[in-house]
Amino acid sequence: MTLLALRAVSKQFGGLRALSDISFDVAAGEIVGIMGANGAGKTTLFSLIAGNERPSGGTIVFDGRALAGLPPHRICRLGIARTFQIVRPFGGLTVEDNVATAAMFGAAQAASPAAAAERALAVLALVGLAERAGDLAETLTLSGQKRLELARAVATGGRLLMLDEVMAGLTPAEVATMLEIVRRLHREYGLTILIIEHVMRALMQLAGRIVVLHHGEKIAEGPPAAIGADPRVHEVYFGAAA
Amino acid sequence: MRGALALAALALAAAALPAVAGDYHVGVGLGLLMYVALTQSWTVLSGMTGYVSLGHVVFYGLGAYVAVLLWGEAPLAAIVALAALAAFAFAALIGLPALRVRGPYFVILTFGLAELAKYVVIVVEGWLGKFSRVIFGAPDIETLYYIMFGLAAAATLMTFLVRRSRFGRGLLALRENEEAAETVGVPTVRFKLLAYALSALIPGAVGSVMVLRQTYFEPAQIFDPVVSFTIVTMAVVGGSEDMKGPLLGAAGFVLLSELLWANAPQLYMVLLGLLLIVFVLFAPQGLSGLLPARRRTP
Amino acid sequence: MDALLSGQLLVAALVTGALYALTALGLNLVYGTMRLLNVAHGDLVMIGAYVAFWAFTLLALSPLLGLAAAAALAALFGLALYHGLFRRLLAGGKAAQRLEANSLLLFFGVSVIVQNLMALQFTATPRGYQYLDTVYRWGNAAITGNRVAAFAVAVILCGGVLAFLRFHVTGLAIKALIQRRDAAAVVGVNVERVQQLALCLGFASAAVAGALVSMTEQISPFMGFPFTIAAFVVIILGGLGNVTGGIAAGLLLGVLETYGVALTSSAYRSILVYGVFVLILLLRPQGLLGGRRIVR
Repeated sequence: MTLLALRAVSKQFGGLRALSDISFDVAAGEIVGIMGANGAGKTTLFSLIAGNERPSGGTIVFDGRALAGLPPHRICRLGIARTFQIVRPFGGLTVEDNVATAAMFGAAQAASPAAAAERALAVLALVGLAERAGDLAETLTLSGQKRLELARAVATGGRLLMLDEVMAGLTPAEVATMLEIVRRLHREYGLTILIIEHVMRALMQLAGRIVVLHHGEKIAEGPPAAIGADPRVHEVYFGAAA
Repeated sequence: MRGALALAALALAAAALPAVAGDYHVGVGLGLLMYVALTQSWTVLSGMTGYVSLGHVVFYGLGAYVAVLLWGEAPLAAIVALAALAAFAFAALIGLPALRVRGPYFVILTFGLAELAKYVVIVVEGWLGKFSRVIFGAPDIETLYYIMFGLAAAATLMTFLVRRSRFGRGLLALRENEEAAETVGVPTVRFKLLAYALSALIPGAVGSVMVLRQTYFEPAQIFDPVVSFTIVTMAVVGGSEDMKGPLLGAAGFVLLSELLWANAPQLYMVLLGLLLIVFVLFAPQGLSGLLPARRRTP
Repeated sequence: MDALLSGQLLVAALVTGALYALTALGLNLVYGTMRLLNVAHGDLVMIGAYVAFWAFTLLALSPLLGLAAAAALAALFGLALYHGLFRRLLAGGKAAQRLEANSLLLFFGVSVIVQNLMALQFTATPRGYQYLDTVYRWGNAAITGNRVAAFAVAVILCGGVLAFLRFHVTGLAIKALIQRRDAAAVVGVNVERVQQLALCLGFASAAVAGALVSMTEQISPFMGFPFTIAAFVVIILGGLGNVTGGIAAGLLLGVLETYGVALTSSAYRSILVYGVFVLILLLRPQGLLGGRRIVR
């Protein structure tokens, strides 16, 4: 079953064409990777799906519903959750309250503050932040704040999770932990995942399918092995270096 | 628990004041309650969302104007209620475009809006051929005092309730990061607008009471930017992280103004400015944050 | 209707516009290099006006010379503020970011203090003096000498600053800082020194504008805020860091205000100025940096 469908989506910033004519589907239960160099339009794509930015053209359909024109909070309640590449914690609130807020207002719509707190603690345990629940979010390290981003997105209760470089800037050990967390979210929580990642090996391991963007255009789509062998992808990624 | 007791004791003392004190002191008490009501209301917007309003006098002035226009035409209770509603409606109206403006731009925009409103009212009064209006048969000070007491109590209760509600949590989240808040499902536009309108509600009523106390209406004097500035300074000095802050701030400044305003208003303003700067720089949590207390996020 | 077409009004509009342009130029330099909204900017206009007033009444010094004293004093005041306040804010990092709106409160505090100190010292009574008030006639326009002088000085100074920013190394550094703060540091601009210089220059421009205003209008301790507002309008219209655009916008605002008042009555002057200001902020909610925001 198709959960998310993009058709000819484009985005223009003034005279700059950030994305043009992007189409692809994501089936329920899939992990789809988004690959591309800096400025390829990956984050913009997430912003369009989550409603942080409006598309200049094309349609985005989630679970049979067109998302055009909906504000971000409505899209979140329909079941799409995203993380930000540059972390955006609620710095002055505790770690627990960060996550509980998502549980209260997201698709999960926790019935009471107690229910929200319970859900928050469960998610925090999953990402390994349970001991920090009472600390202010701004006191976390970068790795901690990345995990908090993830926890907050998960706690909204969305079915589609969009992860924007949650592994960037982490040590190899932390990357391994994060990989495991993402796998568990997929397996145990049954989440559909759209993931942007620079750490290529991680993406190859996780994703069942990869979409490659270059200068705002989709240049390839397919299983990791096929993407790895695609000459166009090689040209874009390694051409300059060779 | 101790906080609740202290609050109850304060409320009792305030309620008993007219019975034991003369008109002068009741007048001072009225001024104090006025600033408690205004500053508590202000924190619902500016403390909770971080959208700092430097133009709250516009709601106060609007309430006063409504009261002057309706005086003699409607009963006192209706006038106060209508003044509050007018301010609420006005905030809801201008809030939609105004709250798209963020940070320091919002601060200066609110100031500009209040000044604009002042000059518009001056011109309108000019058209009507009125340059100042005198109110005859205004209620006695005790009546006004008790109304103001009710407004101050209501404003304090409102901040208390908002802080503990789901709505309040949404406001805090958007204060910390608006984009993240809307992305986790907080309806930021609606929440900000409601906070703005709520923060205008009681100031509208306060304006109607104060114009009846002064028994005359002159736009330049009612829409005085000093009122906005005083509210902000009280909240910054007292602290706007809990309902205690505005109480501390209002008490301190009314005392200071008693000492100085009549004799040396300019010196009073200089002190206000100095205190604002010192607290913003060195103690952004205000007096309330300096007090030893259990610290937790609400 | 005749009055509207007369050269009289055009000249008045140009004088006002030139003074706005000079004031806004100062704010542009300060805001551009430090990203701090100095709402006390108009009070520098007021201080400059008082310096020229006292230099003229006490020392019989021509305001055209008094403006140099005003500029020097304002530059010193700028340095004092820089070391007392700005540096702390600029270096504050995260704490400063959270206080972004509060930084405006700081300047508002400075503004209130300056205004009331002046009122304590010199009373709130408006003051004025007569200087170069011979009336000259050009066709159907009559204009006093002081207006001609104010206009000429404002134009010369705007032009001078423009040339400085375009051709002088330090001027180019200021421009670089206005456009890209991070990048400027990378290419070897001494950010702190350039900021101080821009601040002095910006404060001095406002004070000179004030000295010029004092020749043509009555002055009071509370005259500054409309100039702050006008300066904000001008740099939003003209574009941040765009000095040429700012000068054009200053003239435009002068024309708008002068003709607006002529078409209605002087009671509408404040409505016009604040109305334009509010409208501009509502239409461009991103403020001065509008149009460059890209969500990542």
